[in-house]
Amino acid sequence: MNSRYILGLALAITGFGFAPVAAAQDRIQLDSEVEVERTKSEGGQTKVDYLPPVGVVPGDRLRFTTGYDNRGSTAAENFVVTNPLPEAVALAKNEDAFVVSVDQGQTFGTLAELQIKETTGEYRAAELTDVTHIRWTLERVAPGETGTLTYFGIVR
Amino acid sequence: MTKRRLSSSLRLLPFIAIVAATPALAGGVPAGSIIENTASATYDDSGVERTVSSNTVEVMVEELLDVTVTSQDGSAVSIGSGSAVLTYELTNTGNGPEAFILTADPARTGNDFDPTVTGIAYDTNGNGIYDEGVDLLLGADNRTPVLNADDTLTVFILVDTPAGVNDGQTASVNLLVQAATGTGQPGTAFPGQGEGGSDAIVGATSADDDADGQLTAAVAAVTLSKSAVVSDPFGGNEVVPGATVTFTIVANVTGTGSFDAFTINDRIPDFTTYSPGTLTFGGASLTDGADGDAGSVGSNGVSVNLGTVTSGNSYAVSFDVVVN
Repeated sequence: MNSRYILGLALAITGFGFAPVAAAQDRIQLDSEVEVERTKSEGGQTKVDYLPPVGVVPGDRLRFTTGYDNRGSTAAENFVVTNPLPEAVALAKNEDAFVVSVDQGQTFGTLAELQIKETTGEYRAAELTDVTHIRWTLERVAPGETGTLTYFGIVR
Repeated sequence: MTKRRLSSSLRLLPFIAIVAATPALAGGVPAGSIIENTASATYDDSGVERTVSSNTVEVMVEELLDVTVTSQDGSAVSIGSGSAVLTYELTNTGNGPEAFILTADPARTGNDFDPTVTGIAYDTNGNGIYDEGVDLLLGADNRTPVLNADDTLTVFILVDTPAGVNDGQTASVNLLVQAATGTGQPGTAFPGQGEGGSDAIVGATSADDDADGQLTAAVAAVTLSKSAVVSDPFGGNEVVPGATVTFTIVANVTGTGSFDAFTINDRIPDFTTYSPGTLTFGGASLTDGADGDAGSVGSNGVSVNLGTVTSGNSYAVSFDVVVN
């Protein structure tokens, strides 16, 4: 029970985004967060909530959010954020905001551009479940600028 | 427009990944796994390339309790006057190791007869067939061994026929399978009872399932009919002293199946005397002595062992007596 309690605390802390202290030269702070999607019926309407990731099982949708914050006095140019998907998570939804990799981050493109060579030697279009990495590219993050980058995953 | 340029330049490259197919897990990621997510960034800070990583968020995958069960009998299992075996297969469709509680219900609505359940066993040698003395019977708690995620277990329900069952009657026997940790509405949680200290959470199957196995009674029935033909010494059919009476006993076997060592016994009527050497079975003569053939005649009357009699057939035994 103790170890579980401690883990629960750890999850709570990381889940709510108290990032570790950044090294001094890090102008940019990255803050990763995860929530679980829960739907409930209210008066005949389906309501979607994003809650702390408790009771997560295969098939659940997770929302991963990476916040960025330029705390420096200079702009960050060509700001490229790469997020390897956890092995246990499949990409739930493709979005125009990011490009993806299906080969462990060696090459990136839109999902429609990517192909998979099967062990039989045949090619097929890459699917959401093939995605291993996601990448966002921002031209410039000005001093003091903040924002969030989001992707949705499904627990495999 | 860095991004647009990046995209268009990338488009020139062949984006082909060679993947080894990872085995699909029906039950999903194993219970107790930790999902970790970390993002990293590179950027140009006044001509200096810098990298930065985010914190790592962690999510524990809880144990999903799910199970399915199906009947493995392609058609109704024939049950005679003895016992029969119904076969089912249960699958742990959850994502963690789990034992299951099994309940057999032989008293289903619509049953022509209710079989008697004599035991529930599981396949220990993986051949899918019940082997008495090899496959193990469940204990009093009706609990299976622990099954890993995605594993299957072949289960046997052993049944007997009750008395008074007629040929062609049918019965269902239901096998209910419930996760030992618990069942309930999907989403019901059992805190800390999952694998690796995770919570156990009831999945879409409600952590239980049931399946019916079908039985059809295949029992044989016999009707005996006895007839007598009288021929008197005067060429008529009067029962007078000296008249010969030929008795014929017909065994008509109906239903499904057979009887072994089926024996017809008939005593010699009072005031008559057996006419030696007249015993026949199926038109063929039998000796009167208790010897190698099927028939014998003694002080208790005639006795003919018909051997195995099968449904759809008739068997005739005849003998003559003389009226004293």
